[in-house]
Amino acid sequence: MMALLRTEIVKQSRRTRTYVALGLMAAIPIIITFALWANPPDNFGGGNGPGDGFFYFAAHGTGLLLPAAILLVMSRFLLIGVAALFAGDAIASEASWGNLRALLMRPIKRGRLLGTKILIAVALTCLATFIIVVTGLIAGGIAFGWHALDVGPLAFVRGAPPYQSVGVLLGHLALGSLYVTWSLAAVVAFGFMISTMSDSPAGAAAAAFGLYVTSAILDNIDAIGSIRNVFPTHYSDAWTDLFLHDHLSADMLRGTLLQIPYIIVFCGIAAWYFRRKDIMS
Amino acid sequence: MTTGTATLGDVAPAASTETVVSVRGLTKRFDAAVLAVDNLDFTVQRGEVCGLLGPNGAGKTTTLRMLLGLIHPTAGEMELFGARVVPSADVLVRVGAMIEQAAFVPHLSGMTNLRLYWEAGGASFADADLDTALGVAALGSAIDRKVKTYSQGMRQRLGLARALLGRPDLLVLDEPTNGLDPQEMRAVRQLLRRVADQGTTVLLSSHLLSEVEQICSHAVVMDRGRLVAAGTVGDLMQASVSAFVEVDDTARASSVLESMPGVVHVSEEAPGLSVRLDGAERWQIVDALVGAGVKVSTVTARHRLEDAFLGLLGEETER
Repeated sequence: MMALLRTEIVKQSRRTRTYVALGLMAAIPIIITFALWANPPDNFGGGNGPGDGFFYFAAHGTGLLLPAAILLVMSRFLLIGVAALFAGDAIASEASWGNLRALLMRPIKRGRLLGTKILIAVALTCLATFIIVVTGLIAGGIAFGWHALDVGPLAFVRGAPPYQSVGVLLGHLALGSLYVTWSLAAVVAFGFMISTMSDSPAGAAAAAFGLYVTSAILDNIDAIGSIRNVFPTHYSDAWTDLFLHDHLSADMLRGTLLQIPYIIVFCGIAAWYFRRKDIMS
Repeated sequence: MTTGTATLGDVAPAASTETVVSVRGLTKRFDAAVLAVDNLDFTVQRGEVCGLLGPNGAGKTTTLRMLLGLIHPTAGEMELFGARVVPSADVLVRVGAMIEQAAFVPHLSGMTNLRLYWEAGGASFADADLDTALGVAALGSAIDRKVKTYSQGMRQRLGLARALLGRPDLLVLDEPTNGLDPQEMRAVRQLLRRVADQGTTVLLSSHLLSEVEQICSHAVVMDRGRLVAAGTVGDLMQASVSAFVEVDDTARASSVLESMPGVVHVSEEAPGLSVRLDGAERWQIVDALVGAGVKVSTVTARHRLEDAFLGLLGEETER
């Protein structure tokens, strides 16, 4: 397994695609930081979701909150796209190159190949989130400094604690980042499943992104009712409670548990399908 | 029986009857309408160079893919060196293979592709037969260039090199000279003969009958997924007797011969005619032509795999 893992790391580390995707994860936080520094918001309105305005406004006060604000923006689109790309590419790219048959004739066990490929996809997704947060922290520190957050004047933000120390902010940031990464699990697992079925990495990535978009759109339709609670994106933003209310919310727990059945089902189908697949590419 | 692992550097082992490839009742149905391989049986013994022949769609590549664990058979059994073939079977470590066009990770160099392929199996690159592989690839400094910059011929040679990295006991090649120029094709033929002389069993599919005739000791002929014939190339060629005649009027000669009993096929082949015989003797051909006023300048007997192949497929079609 380790030998195969090493060879997969070499393959990924020499791909332009990897550097472009991860480069974007570093570039966007710098652009957002610059935008906030050049045009600081004068109130906590704006944004696409409840509490968004708080993040943009408060991030101007401390660079420790800036990565959270950036993560909030990127976890709704670009980070999903990158995770879908890494997952969709896993097996389908080998098939599209025609290299899959060479690996299986080496012979590499199909289960071992699947395990290694998903490990790489998950590692790259974690790395993408890590780069966003670290770049945000560095850029935020340079632009706004690393201070404790004093939200006293914003007491009307319901439930917002008046003060969060540097340590608390860092803790929230670490936990929030883990949650964001974990909440991508359904998309990654779905992309991986499609990747075992397709010879088109772009198609598999698009399908994974499509799952996210579909879930996000349907989640906004109240008429669908409580069934929305099982959509994979339903609790995606629950981590913001850490900063807004200074505690782990029940929604975070639900969001964490919700990913598990998706992982089991999608990865289970991927394994079942790939073991029986006729390799024609 | 010699069962040791032959390497390219070894002295040729004594002839052996070890069955390297055994295919029994192999069937592959892709869906209700497509029966790609139909109840196929054949064996390949150690040291043989066996050609898998057949027209496009005969099921050659599907058979090779099943033999390498890439495709699941619908029915039947396959064994390599006595071990049942399943996907990623351990026995495949004794096999070097190239199926269809050689394919690689395009953004990596030829050398990195060889190294990663080898190391993915958990082996040290130092244990690979790199000298032989690089000799076969004959890429020079281009071995360090990205594969996406390679021509088809370069990729094909690199594919052969990859197949030979592990000093295989069995080499399975699907159209190995595809994309190669005549000089490269000749080099590959010489290589395969050398490899076989050193004890490696070779199973290859090819459209080029002259190539099979030159390289192979045995052949398996397939058509529409079924076995048509199997045996030594010599026996297969003897099964079909042809004659080549040079005449002054090919159209008239063709008409005379086509109506003659014991002649199954007449085709124009400049500067004369190729005549496939099934009962008729050469002197009878000459007699009939001269009797019809056709001047005959040359008559030669001919035993070619191509004639045998066409004859076998013709019989199969009539069935």
